[in-house]
Amino acid sequence: MTRRVRKIFFLLSAAALVWVFFLAYSPLAPFGYVQSKYGDMVNAITVPERHITDAVTAVNFDVRGFDTLGEEFILFTSVMGVLLLMRRQKDEPAGDHEDKAADRMIPPASDAVRVTSLLLIAPTVLFGLYIVTHGQVTPGGGFQGGVILSTAPLLLYLCADYRPFRRAVPQRLIEASEAFGAAAYILIGGACVALGGLFLQNSLPLGQSGSLTSGGMVPFINLGVGLEVSGGLSLALLVYLEELLEEKEQ
Amino acid sequence: MLPVFPVVLPLFAAALLAALTKLVSQRLSQGIAIAATLATLGIESYLLHASAEQPIVYWFGNWLPRHGIALGISFTVDPIGAGLGTFASVLTLAALVFSSKYFDAAGNHFHALLLAFLAAMCGFCLSGDMFNMFVFFELMSAAAFALCGYKTEDPGSLQGSLNFAVTNTIGAYFVLSGIGLLYARTGALNMAQMGRALGAGPLDSLVLIGFVFIVCGYLIKAAVVPFHFWLADAHAVAPTPICILFSGVMVEMGLFALARIYWDVFNHALHPHLAGLRTLFVTIGVVTAFIGAFMCYLQRNVKRLLAFSTISHIGLMTIGVGLFTPEGLAGAAVYTLGHGAVKAGLFLVAGILLHRFESVDEFDLYAKGRRQRWTAAVFFAGGIALCGLPFSGLAAGDDLVHAAAAATGFNWVRLISLFAGAVTSAAVLRAGGRIFFGWGPAGDQSSAPKHEEKPETERGHDHTPATMFVPAAALVAAGLLVGLTPNLKPAASTAAMQFENTNAYATRVLDAQPAPAPLPPRPAPTEIFSGLLTVLGAITIAAVHLFSDRARDISAAIAKPLQLLHQIHSGHVGDYVAFLTFGMACFGLLCAYCFR
Repeated sequence: MTRRVRKIFFLLSAAALVWVFFLAYSPLAPFGYVQSKYGDMVNAITVPERHITDAVTAVNFDVRGFDTLGEEFILFTSVMGVLLLMRRQKDEPAGDHEDKAADRMIPPASDAVRVTSLLLIAPTVLFGLYIVTHGQVTPGGGFQGGVILSTAPLLLYLCADYRPFRRAVPQRLIEASEAFGAAAYILIGGACVALGGLFLQNSLPLGQSGSLTSGGMVPFINLGVGLEVSGGLSLALLVYLEELLEEKEQ
Repeated sequence: MLPVFPVVLPLFAAALLAALTKLVSQRLSQGIAIAATLATLGIESYLLHASAEQPIVYWFGNWLPRHGIALGISFTVDPIGAGLGTFASVLTLAALVFSSKYFDAAGNHFHALLLAFLAAMCGFCLSGDMFNMFVFFELMSAAAFALCGYKTEDPGSLQGSLNFAVTNTIGAYFVLSGIGLLYARTGALNMAQMGRALGAGPLDSLVLIGFVFIVCGYLIKAAVVPFHFWLADAHAVAPTPICILFSGVMVEMGLFALARIYWDVFNHALHPHLAGLRTLFVTIGVVTAFIGAFMCYLQRNVKRLLAFSTISHIGLMTIGVGLFTPEGLAGAAVYTLGHGAVKAGLFLVAGILLHRFESVDEFDLYAKGRRQRWTAAVFFAGGIALCGLPFSGLAAGDDLVHAAAAATGFNWVRLISLFAGAVTSAAVLRAGGRIFFGWGPAGDQSSAPKHEEKPETERGHDHTPATMFVPAAALVAAGLLVGLTPNLKPAASTAAMQFENTNAYATRVLDAQPAPAPLPPRPAPTEIFSGLLTVLGAITIAAVHLFSDRARDISAAIAKPLQLLHQIHSGHVGDYVAFLTFGMACFGLLCAYCFR
């Protein structure tokens, strides 16, 4: 198809599809009308049965915890895919690709950026850990906290140059902890079986509602997920930086 | 506890391999992967056996339904799903053994991704929850995209993988939109509960288009026309061991999803329009079978040829599922086994050719395989089996589908499978004749332009290692012999009846009531005559093409108008998305206005 034909063909089809969407959404219940009993049921059980005050976390990590296991492994698999696809080929000499645009420079970071980044690292880690550990009490958890934690290496990169940054970041350790974080979900699920329940059946002491140790297995799962998410995103960041910067430097 | 293992065991092994990535050798990593796959295979086959009487329902976290409302996620294991999972494990095992020679700088990520792929396929087959199925669908895609682009030194590989990723991600988007629509209506994600709620409610455009979105999204994975474009591109670039999983079982997962969703969720709601749905899906199947067969015959790259043949066979399986009867589904399931094993074997032969001669081009390989007697034997056996040699697995599937078609007034379906089987098989035989015997001329006007293919292995091109030959031969033999299993057809029919008993399924899942014992299945006759006719047709087409100059002229003349078909398969992802939008819009409008 030529560009023009493709465009016309697509636009006509897309217009028809818009009509399909209209047909689909027009019989929806009016705004604010609650069709499902599910939300009420979940709200009624999370605190009495699980001592979890954040209902979303209760659904994600306990009631429908198996979905979240799958989602964690989607991230894990995607990061592995990135590592596989970005691997250096045997016959690909390092620094082979020269940057053809000679005027394209990486601007050196200003002192203000360096100092601010340095100052932000510790609060970022602390905040990330806070979000990871408080999932069962307030909105948050391993996914959100893990993303915040993974910005710490980026800040480190901003406040130092690439080489010292590379030396400071223990890639092997991150790889191992990422995989361990992913495996932890399965291990916790399996531990529930060992304690006599079904897979991911919350059989640990539930603790005091609203406290850091409430929710039985949920805080542990969140720790694992936090490890996996922060590790996975940091790895992806490392691999992309490597691809981008090692070529530049040589 | 057991239903959990096929998912968490491979995933745990994948995490282990990723953690030890630089500590364990490639060989050990392969060993761990094979051990995990074998264990998965064992558990899946046990589940297949154990679920024959009653579906096994497993509620994660022991969140049992309360007042008929499902709180948590259930796995609902039945023989069709467990069987597909078992088959996925078998093919993964073959892929792992075959890939012994594929070691390079990839670390252990290749094995880890393969295990994640297996876990996702198993989860997809076993899940009884609409959203949980979607999660495993996404996991399957994430692993598949990366594995497809494995040969990163080849720019074509990136493009093929990208086309695959873009089209299938659009599919995932539509699945999710459909799930959202239905959740808004039913307030449920458990398929049994959704089925009950939809059966009680009105059938309006929301429900119909929810059906369309979910089904079309999964049909993109199943690669039916016009959603099929990505498949040939992905197969042409993916490493051979990955191709066998794509063709043998991943694509079939899309059709499995169609069956699962229709029977568990939409059966009550859409039952009044069953005749219309049959016509729709049989038409889609027929068009897919034809276009796949034509395109298959025009290829000179053996992997692309096999990929288009998969599309053609998927068309036939779509007819089986789309007849919406127990025999039809049983036929499609048996067909999946027969086709998957044979097609995987043929792909592995293509991998062996690539290993030995660094090419999969029919003309480049002209007469190069003269001394490969055993490889040739496997290739020709696979070629003949592909058209439904009587008593092979494919033929057993055909028998069941034809019986189902006759019972629903689609008697002419057997002509379609005769034609598609003969043409796709003739293409394989023709390529085999050129490659292994040097029959016919070394070039041809009617075929597609050449694609370069990078070799996948590094050393030892002067012999075929047993790790490559044995899986290929074993798979083709399995595809032929599975049809001789005495109880195959009745067992498949019984399983399909259990699968399609929507009410029994719902009471089993939601009320924990035992399902009634299924009725004894109707026997499906073995059709020796039409099978032999197809084989004869395939041999005739291939022989005439190779040995008659005039016939080649005629076929070149026929191929000319088919060039248009060729141009449509442009490799441009924008074209694919345009066709996909077109197909989705047509499907949606048709359903919304015809089935009200």
